[in-house]
Amino acid sequence: MKFTISRETLLKPLQMVNGVVEKRQTMPILSNILLNATPESLTLTGTDLEVEMVTRTQLENAEPGEATLPARKFADICRALPEEAMIEISVEGDKATLRSAKSRFTLATLPVVEFPNVDEINNPYSFQISQKYMKGLIDKTSFAMAQQDVRYYLNGMLLELADNTLRAVATDGHRLSMSEVGTEHNPEEMIQVIVPRMAVMELSRMLEDSDEMLEVQIGSNHIKFSLNDVTFTSKLIDGKFPDYDRVFPKNSDKQVVTNRMLLRQALTRTSILSNEKYRGIRLQLSSGVLHTMAHNPEQEEAEEELEVNYQGGELEIGFNATYLLDALSAVDTEEVKVWLSDPNSSCLIHGLDDEQSKYVIMPMRL
Amino acid sequence: MIIHVDMDAFYASVEERDRPELANRPVIVGGSPQGRGVVSAANYVARRYGVHSAMPTVTAARLCPEGVFLPVRMERYIGVSQQIHDIFQRYTPVIEPLSLDEAFLDVRGSEGLFGDAVSIAHQIQRAILDELQLHASVGVAPNKFLAKIASDLEKPRGFVVVEEAQVQSFLDPLPVSRLWGVGKAAQQRLHGLGIYTVGDVRESEAELLQRALGRHGMQLWELAHGRDARPVVAEREAKSVSHETTFSEDIIDASVLRASLLQLTEQVAWRLRRHSLQGRTVQLKIRFQDFTTLTRSQSLASSTDRTDTLWRAVRELFDTRLQHPLPPVRLIGMGVHGFDNESMPAQNDLFMEPDAGSELDQLNDSLRERFGDAVLQRARGLRRPGQEKG
Repeated sequence: MKFTISRETLLKPLQMVNGVVEKRQTMPILSNILLNATPESLTLTGTDLEVEMVTRTQLENAEPGEATLPARKFADICRALPEEAMIEISVEGDKATLRSAKSRFTLATLPVVEFPNVDEINNPYSFQISQKYMKGLIDKTSFAMAQQDVRYYLNGMLLELADNTLRAVATDGHRLSMSEVGTEHNPEEMIQVIVPRMAVMELSRMLEDSDEMLEVQIGSNHIKFSLNDVTFTSKLIDGKFPDYDRVFPKNSDKQVVTNRMLLRQALTRTSILSNEKYRGIRLQLSSGVLHTMAHNPEQEEAEEELEVNYQGGELEIGFNATYLLDALSAVDTEEVKVWLSDPNSSCLIHGLDDEQSKYVIMPMRL
Repeated sequence: MIIHVDMDAFYASVEERDRPELANRPVIVGGSPQGRGVVSAANYVARRYGVHSAMPTVTAARLCPEGVFLPVRMERYIGVSQQIHDIFQRYTPVIEPLSLDEAFLDVRGSEGLFGDAVSIAHQIQRAILDELQLHASVGVAPNKFLAKIASDLEKPRGFVVVEEAQVQSFLDPLPVSRLWGVGKAAQQRLHGLGIYTVGDVRESEAELLQRALGRHGMQLWELAHGRDARPVVAEREAKSVSHETTFSEDIIDASVLRASLLQLTEQVAWRLRRHSLQGRTVQLKIRFQDFTTLTRSQSLASSTDRTDTLWRAVRELFDTRLQHPLPPVRLIGMGVHGFDNESMPAQNDLFMEPDAGSELDQLNDSLRERFGDAVLQRARGLRRPGQEKG
């Protein structure tokens, strides 16, 4: 195997593949990435056995071949070379050599046969969606995913395809976010899969704000996302996601409409003096006015008053300020609508006249 | 001044009041005489037969065959205890309950409003009698130690005031066993030194006491001078909430110990809930015949005020963290600590099934507070201790 490639052409796919290669691997081969050269293309593959990232790059007049190189060192070297540098990579025996101008590096390789293959997806359901929509779904929901929860099915994002709607749902049990987009796909049976947290983050890094179509293939154990020159495969979480529909409050009698940024700013300021551990913030609602209040164990206090569009009874309710702020940051309309009922019931937030993304937050007893 | 209020034969008096047909009969509350329970309380008629609390019920039945033996209705006593507490609350917020039937009150801040401490103590004793038809013994003194001795001195229906100037004349003639922490063993050692009264302690050399009894000797010497600097700690500021029982006869039967522990746990949990406290660490305390005392504690995943959670934890400590079979047990206790500086915020969960245990506790508490009655009771509490299994 021997080919020459510019630093800039190599660096982006290399870093993308490197993203899934874990730093501390128990299996040495997993610290390596697989290079596969044909006369016209270079394929890079990285995996941690849960996910696999494959990128394809154009080559010219390459000498075909395969090899695995230590991922981190390979990437560090390429990054450290000067801009616009041309890199020649050749493999002989169990050594790989990188040459660029007056630099030369010899790296150890590991046998290609040891490099694990992620299982092929059998009989997948395939559909396409523009990558910016997919990225939007992730950006609007992924922050609510659980981290290392014993309810392992919460440590990921639910992707649901049904009735010409692709929906993403994430929840850590305290709050839930849901976002959906229309699609021309309408599978006979509703498709529901849970994509692991790690994979969601990688996918988000891979996607751009572009109209280019993303191909999604869903099998029984795996999901595969393909763009022109990148393929990302992940195992699915085998579990039952909670019935998210049940979580949306149905009987909220108090509706508040207010400017999203003003509310967010007020909460941001107030929360500075909330208990750092619990982030509890108290909301006091009365006709036309929302008070936000917080205090910490040092007895410091913050209070703000915000004019809101609300007519109705008074309510005092506590929340984790972070959850409110996360939701308000994910909404992108100028005005938000907040639905409340009583101090023990969840609150629903969405953009005014925009229910494509909705956020449910459970209150906190302060 | 500090007031110590101690209800007279509390459980038995509540039973007597609730059931007038028991008047003038020996009433003994506790485990059944058929089982292997312990007397929780005996009224004064029963005491004339030599029956006293913490005595095995079998012994009580032998001493007093005509006694009326009643099961412990803990929920009921907790309800009445709350009513007593409500009376205290009218006079001062600084209340430190020692158990359901005993509390210290610091009234220094309320004397301008309700009269001096002696007058307040009279008002409280009178209110408890008028409103609840129950008798209390009251001690009024410059500190907790003296107030507690004072309330005990003329029980039942006692009312003893110790003024600052009378402290020595009040203390000196008392037997040393009146001093806190002087049990049989210490008493014997002191008698060996020719020390029989509190006055003897006061006049001894502090070093002598220290040699005989260690650090505790110094404490006795301080107490004998009527010195006790410990403040009355209102429950809200308490760092822990605990209850313990000393048995009059050492107990070997683990099921009796478990039944006692459950009662203690119910009291502790209720006090936590009443003060909106949630603790994270559960402690079991056990003292054996030879006075060795062991404590075992464990931290919970999250803080709680729930009876069932606390009971599970303390029971696990009892079952798994002690070497069974246990040597004879003299005292058993449980406590909860690890409160947050402020009452702990609790994040509600979207998917948590309605918290059945917690709702049960709340329902139970509210019924108890409204009706002051044992409307609901845990099944285990209904069983007789002697029938307890595993």
